[in-house]
Amino acid sequence: MTDLLAVRDIRKSFGGVHAVDGVSLSVPQGSTTGLIGPNGAGKSTALGVIAGALRADGGTVEFDGDDISGLPPMNRARRGLIRTFQTSSPFSRLTVLENLLVAAQNNPGETLLGAVLLGKRSWRRHERELVDRARELMAQFEMTDKEDEWAGNLSGGQKRLLEIMRGLMARPKLLLLDEPMAGVNPTLARGIEGHLERLRHDGLTMLMIEHELGVVERLCDRVIVMAQGKVISEGTMESLRTEQEVLDAYLVG
Amino acid sequence: MSTAWQFYFSTLAIYLAVDIMAVWGLNLQFGVAGISSFAFIMFQAIGAYVASVLTLGPAQPTSFQQYIGGANLPFPLPLLAAGLAGGLLALVVGLISLRRLRTDYQAMVMLVISLTATYVVDNETHLFNGPAGLSLVPKPLFDSLGLSLISYQWFYVGLSAVICVLIYLVVRRFTGSPLGRAMRAARDNEHAAAALGKNVLALRMTAFVAGGVIAGISGAVFVDFIGAWSPGSWLYPETFVYFTAILVGGTGNNVGVAVGALLVPIGFLEATRYLPNIGYPGFVDALEWVAVGVLALIFLWFWPRGVIPERKRRFPRAGEERRRFGVLALRGRS
Amino acid sequence: MSLFVASLGFGLVTASILAVAAVGFTLQFGVTNILNLAFGDIMTAAAFMGYIATTNGASIWLALAVGGAFGALFSVLLNRLLYTPFVRRGTRLFGMIIVTIAVSLIIQNGIQAIWGPSFFSLKFSPGHSYHVLGSMVFTTAQFGIMGIAVVAMLGVYGLLRYTKLGKAMRATASDPALARSCGIATDRVIDVAWVLSGALCGIAGIALAMNVTSFTSTTGGTFLIAIVAAAVLGGVGQAYGAMLGALTIGITSEVAAGLIAPAWKQVVAFAVLVAVLLVRPQGILSEVAEDKEVVA
Repeated sequence: MTDLLAVRDIRKSFGGVHAVDGVSLSVPQGSTTGLIGPNGAGKSTALGVIAGALRADGGTVEFDGDDISGLPPMNRARRGLIRTFQTSSPFSRLTVLENLLVAAQNNPGETLLGAVLLGKRSWRRHERELVDRARELMAQFEMTDKEDEWAGNLSGGQKRLLEIMRGLMARPKLLLLDEPMAGVNPTLARGIEGHLERLRHDGLTMLMIEHELGVVERLCDRVIVMAQGKVISEGTMESLRTEQEVLDAYLVG
Repeated sequence: MSTAWQFYFSTLAIYLAVDIMAVWGLNLQFGVAGISSFAFIMFQAIGAYVASVLTLGPAQPTSFQQYIGGANLPFPLPLLAAGLAGGLLALVVGLISLRRLRTDYQAMVMLVISLTATYVVDNETHLFNGPAGLSLVPKPLFDSLGLSLISYQWFYVGLSAVICVLIYLVVRRFTGSPLGRAMRAARDNEHAAAALGKNVLALRMTAFVAGGVIAGISGAVFVDFIGAWSPGSWLYPETFVYFTAILVGGTGNNVGVAVGALLVPIGFLEATRYLPNIGYPGFVDALEWVAVGVLALIFLWFWPRGVIPERKRRFPRAGEERRRFGVLALRGRS
Repeated sequence: MSLFVASLGFGLVTASILAVAAVGFTLQFGVTNILNLAFGDIMTAAAFMGYIATTNGASIWLALAVGGAFGALFSVLLNRLLYTPFVRRGTRLFGMIIVTIAVSLIIQNGIQAIWGPSFFSLKFSPGHSYHVLGSMVFTTAQFGIMGIAVVAMLGVYGLLRYTKLGKAMRATASDPALARSCGIATDRVIDVAWVLSGALCGIAGIALAMNVTSFTSTTGGTFLIAIVAAAVLGGVGQAYGAMLGALTIGITSEVAAGLIAPAWKQVVAFAVLVAVLLVRPQGILSEVAEDKEVVA
């Protein structure tokens, strides 16, 4: 199994604090990998570097065989590396459906040529297909009745779902999830878990930061543990439970 | 209708067309793309300037006015050049200030840019003829049509209306397309938009330059009618009037802002024309501006979303499709 | 050379006025996160108060006090009666800009409506002229202005560094919610910030009026270009940065005006602003908080 994502020795400091201090990890194609660790371990920072939102002080990020270390988030997303945000970031003055439509890539209606010079005829068909795809997605996530709602008016949990759906509309090769269940009530968390399980079953490659170890155990094939800016262990959840280092890290926090 | 009333209404109609176009341009920059375009009036001003200069003919050293450039181009060309000028200036200003600046900071920077531009124009006499500005700009097609003054006015109303409609069709293509949607997404959350592969800077520059082009054209239509261009008519408070129009009418939707253009620059400012001329010359004008400021505050307080708020774009479902020419039609609204 | 030195002299005076104004502007912004674009016009209003005072026999020192008091009172009332209610109502960053510009228009045109478009001058005696370093000429009044600026800067420095209030202001500036939960009376701190910045604004307004041959309703508004440039150069919200920015812009603009042409004064300020934005938008000393919400 080839590695879709290969991160080598990345480093990132903020004013003297080494948030990420020489982290290497890889995510095989088709797997669901979990990234866990106590608070302040540097997980979100590492994700930020992988997504391109943060510029690393050192190290490389390889995605699908290419070195993407110097690319901004926009280019990484175009290659299929899609991330969701920990604090849900809907486009609040667009409807839910529009949020999904805008997430799709390579829309001929989004170019100046297509939109203004050629006009509706050039992008109408593509748009129709996108609408159908978006509606299918909404049906799967049971959000069909919210289609025409302003995204800003959704509840916290619904925004969380929208975040994931939007990521999916972008046809990701790798989906980076930053604490998809954080602060969500248990019923909804179970729901989200169910959706993620389905995606995993369908073969989507995912890397997720998650605190709830039960979820991690159920969803993830492999788990990487970080503490104090470094990777201290990796393996299956089972094997990690017995590792002393891992236990220490969680106790010390 | 008496000739005097005809002159009055036709003039009002032309002003309205100019203001509606301008407001659509600003709406593209601000309502759709979220840019705090406080330098907007500059784009209209430069369009007007270029249109004047290209119809006045080359600058004569003996003439009482000095300016750069100068040609004697026939009708639609100065208009197109004006649009181009507006777009180019917007490109330059955009490259300076469309970085990741928070909205109010951006507005402040643009305001300062426009203040400085006013200052330079007032003082660099050999470039722009100083505070006196340009005058005696010939009216388009006036000589060739040979109409009476009042008939020409109505002709110009028709001309402005046609240009207005053309601008509307273009603006509609922006706002009703996936491009417009991407711009609005970048407006709402630029980080999320970038994380989904959108080129936020390119989207903003596109909206900004397009708005500049439209502003330039509206400036040309204005100056070709008025026949004079003076720096004093293009100060930052004019941008403020347009913003107030958008505020009152409703940001983000073309019909709303057009209503705003009717209510604020036309309705409000024209209505105050009929106040008696008390005090020294300029006293009533000063009060007018005070009133515009107060109006903006009132509307921002009570109706922050405007008279006609941004409407949802809906897509027809399976049972509701409209069939036009046998092809499935999408019903989106702007 | 002597022209250069003379311009340097003018530059020092301009820089002094600019420093007082820019520090006032940036201090208030740092604490409340509101870009008060009516600042220049409040300066003008203070200048007109000074005009009333001096034409009624007041000394220039009294006029300065009147200007400062007026600026302080006006600013704190402006915040309490207008800005704060809008913020509490949910007006976000750009909306607040519209509010401040509306206020700016109202003040500027209100002044024009009352006093007309003519130019006015403060009635005071500038005192003797002193030659320094050969070509620099300062009047007593100008020494006074520079003195006031130095005193004001030291005062602000001392306040921020050594007093409890100063620390409270810094805390509120960096994280208002946290400051509140630490027991800091942020409402009080904000009032003080407006009083302080308003006083500096008023004093700068009088000083500006002292230094120009005559002023009118738009004088303060035009000065805003330089204030904003100085504040941005130093890092908006950073008091020390504003001082640095003021010094830089005050001197370079006067030197340019002296050596090249008078019109270049404003252009230099503007050019500095553009250069800073292109190269280092957060200014020399700080970061502009992205999307930090306004504090009221």
